[in-house]
Amino acid sequence: MDSLYLLIPVALLFVGLGIKLLLWAIDSGQYDDLDKEASRILNDDDAPGDETREKQ
Amino acid sequence: MAVAEQRPIAAPETCYHCGEPVPAGVSLFVDIDGQARPMCCPGCRAVAGLIAGSGLDSFYRRRSSYSERPGEPADTAGEYRVYDDPELAGDFSSSNADGSVSARLLLGGISCAACTWLIEQALSRVPGILAASVQLQHSRLDLRFDPARIPLSEIFARVEALGYRPQPFRADTRREQLSREYRADLRRLGVAGFGMMQVGMFAVALHAGDLQGIEEQYRGLLRGFSLLVSGFVVYYAAGIFFRTAWRHLRQGALVMDLPVALAIGLAWLASAWATLTGSGQVYFDSVVMFTFFLLLGRFLEARVRRHYALAWFDVEAALPDAVSVRHEGQWVTRPRRLLRPGDRVLVRPGQTVPADASVVDGIGAVREDTFNGEHLPRTVHPGETIYAGSVNVESALQADVLVDFAHSRLAALQQSVDAARSGKPKLARLADRIAGWFVAGVLLLTAGTAAVWLQLDPSRALWVSLSVLVISCPCALALATPAALTAAAASLRSAGVIVRGENALESLGRCTHLLFDKTGTLTEGSLAVERVLVLGDCDARELLELAAGLQQFSNHPISRAFANTPANTAFAQVVHIAGAGLEGEYDGLRYRMGSAAFCRALCPVLPEPPEEPLYWVAMCREEQPLAWIGFSDPTREEAPAVIAAARAAGVRVGMLSGDSSPRAAQLAAELGIEVTGSGLQPQEKLRRLRELQDAGAVVAMVGDGLNDAPVLGAADASFAVAGATDLARAQADFVLAGDLGGVTRSWGKARACRRIILQNFAWALGYNLLAIPLAASGHVPPWAAAIGMSLSSLLVVTNSLRLHRSGVAAPEVLRG
Repeated sequence: MDSLYLLIPVALLFVGLGIKLLLWAIDSGQYDDLDKEASRILNDDDAPGDETREKQ
Repeated sequence: MAVAEQRPIAAPETCYHCGEPVPAGVSLFVDIDGQARPMCCPGCRAVAGLIAGSGLDSFYRRRSSYSERPGEPADTAGEYRVYDDPELAGDFSSSNADGSVSARLLLGGISCAACTWLIEQALSRVPGILAASVQLQHSRLDLRFDPARIPLSEIFARVEALGYRPQPFRADTRREQLSREYRADLRRLGVAGFGMMQVGMFAVALHAGDLQGIEEQYRGLLRGFSLLVSGFVVYYAAGIFFRTAWRHLRQGALVMDLPVALAIGLAWLASAWATLTGSGQVYFDSVVMFTFFLLLGRFLEARVRRHYALAWFDVEAALPDAVSVRHEGQWVTRPRRLLRPGDRVLVRPGQTVPADASVVDGIGAVREDTFNGEHLPRTVHPGETIYAGSVNVESALQADVLVDFAHSRLAALQQSVDAARSGKPKLARLADRIAGWFVAGVLLLTAGTAAVWLQLDPSRALWVSLSVLVISCPCALALATPAALTAAAASLRSAGVIVRGENALESLGRCTHLLFDKTGTLTEGSLAVERVLVLGDCDARELLELAAGLQQFSNHPISRAFANTPANTAFAQVVHIAGAGLEGEYDGLRYRMGSAAFCRALCPVLPEPPEEPLYWVAMCREEQPLAWIGFSDPTREEAPAVIAAARAAGVRVGMLSGDSSPRAAQLAAELGIEVTGSGLQPQEKLRRLRELQDAGAVVAMVGDGLNDAPVLGAADASFAVAGATDLARAQADFVLAGDLGGVTRSWGKARACRRIILQNFAWALGYNLLAIPLAASGHVPPWAAAIGMSLSSLLVVTNSLRLHRSGVAAPEVLRG
């Protein structure tokens, strides 16, 4: 059970990384338009616009 | 017919594009998905034809709400040409290193995700457009294009051809702030979510340890890490509750955030104390779960609202961007914002007057519905003033600019809109009113518990009183309102009503007065032939054909009444005499149609017009009177049902009209409502509303025009009807996509919503009443508290979802 002393901090490190990634994604505008993304998957053909999003 | 009798509101045929009823006599069709679909007007047919013709018909299968009815086809392509000047387009576009240009356009008329798909698909096929992406939330189109292959004006025109209203997207502080707030909310939610998963994991181990035993060492370890993670969540994600509670507390108000902040803060502090001293119980999992669910509920609620926040549409957007200005003896096209007092401008028929100006040449007529809501124009002569925002309908006018935009009559309207918005009475939210009592009660109970336990067993006093605080944690109570409002808004949206206002659903249920604007709201907003009084030997059908033949040559609003009448095309030499009428030659005889004086000049024996309060136009030929044709603006057919339903619910119904003619009184009498005011300027409408509100009334207002915007902003609950101007929409709490019946539906839903909120409160309070005595007597372990809290919240959310079922509101449409 002593491994807990190592494993929990390692897990927390990953959590920290995950939060950091999420905050980066939010700040770069990837979550700005949740409504459109929700329906994008229903479109049978490739919707354009992926290029512009990266530019923002 | 049986169906039509049961549902008088449902029109026999609705336009496949915009969902409005197809007027009688219109027979326009577009092939979509292999079927001929009815269209209500040439505008819709043009848009639908373009969509179907580009192979994008699947737009109609994807969309979740009807499109907007496109405006009158206007010659705006030339106007957009000013944006081809890179300097002028500079404030909404920028050049990239590879020679392409990025631009941002604000689009009016976007209603659902299918619109974004349509625009993106249509634009991505245009050679020269490298990328197009529409942001639904901000109604914004982000473009990258090659200016050498396609000018910006062409893109504007293409977007307009699809039925949307493009304009430059200019950054403003309010919009920036909204987007910053949205991201901050999302960040808090994300952090709380991650924290909840971590702390939850530790909590499973701790709870298992409580049941089957755990070594002190590992318990301390797990608690320690829970303390760390939850501490971060409380600081980062729950901080907003503390700040809001504190801000209100300093003003002496007890809001819902106060018990929330107390519960989070005290539970965390107590758990931290327990962790550090190795005694008592920890509630870290409850703390973060509570934070997460609360943030989630509020995020969803805010998203519904923010989605339709159109606050950035302002009156200035109604003005043209390009104007013709006299410069060194020539007419040149200049950006409107460079206009200075003294400049001479040319306003062509159909154009919007760009600035307050004094007419120097030309006799014409301007439609001033911006200021009075009326569609009949005012005749202007040289020396008279025309106002920015009114529309020139007859002939070209030259005018000298009097003042810059900031001092125009239109800018004054914008100011009163802003003032109305900020002066809107704030009805206390139900949750906040309950919160005051709730906080006081919980604090009293906790103090009581502590006092009693100090007598019985001082060593347990702290822990028992803390568990009282934690168990009364108002999670269900705090979720009760946002969950119900979100569900009701979503359900209304599928019924064609967009909910925008912050507390609109809550205040609508309490309204005592319902006020309507007249033109465009109670009526269709366009003139139709109502009566034909035949004076000569022609029959009525023949007369109308003659009239339609003449009116083809006119821009005047009455000419649209003849759009669907077969026209006599044999007229020659038709001239349009501004401010008087039309004259043309047919079969060797001169015909006139227009004002009485104008026709008498040709035919002195023309009798006086009838008494009936209609808009009468005379028709005659040489020496022979032919007819008086009476026009009126027909009442919307669903209006009586809406008024009857409101009255049945005990609401007083009235009319606030900018029209001073007897027609307003006649219409009110017809519908059986009282005239609260007629002939009113926008500011006067606002004053009437304020008088009612000062007398204690809670007022709902329905309107459509720019002139209604201040009233809509100030009313306790307000509706913008289909076809309303962007500014009216931006001020309204509810935007109707279909007919006026949406008012009744919203009302029913608002009452259902209020009932659900009360049920939620009853349950949340009942749960607390049950659990607090148990906690006060020291019988509730932390895991039981956590389960109880989650189940209670789940119940509140499930109960709110019932609002999604149409059955809740339908049977008792207006009875609360």
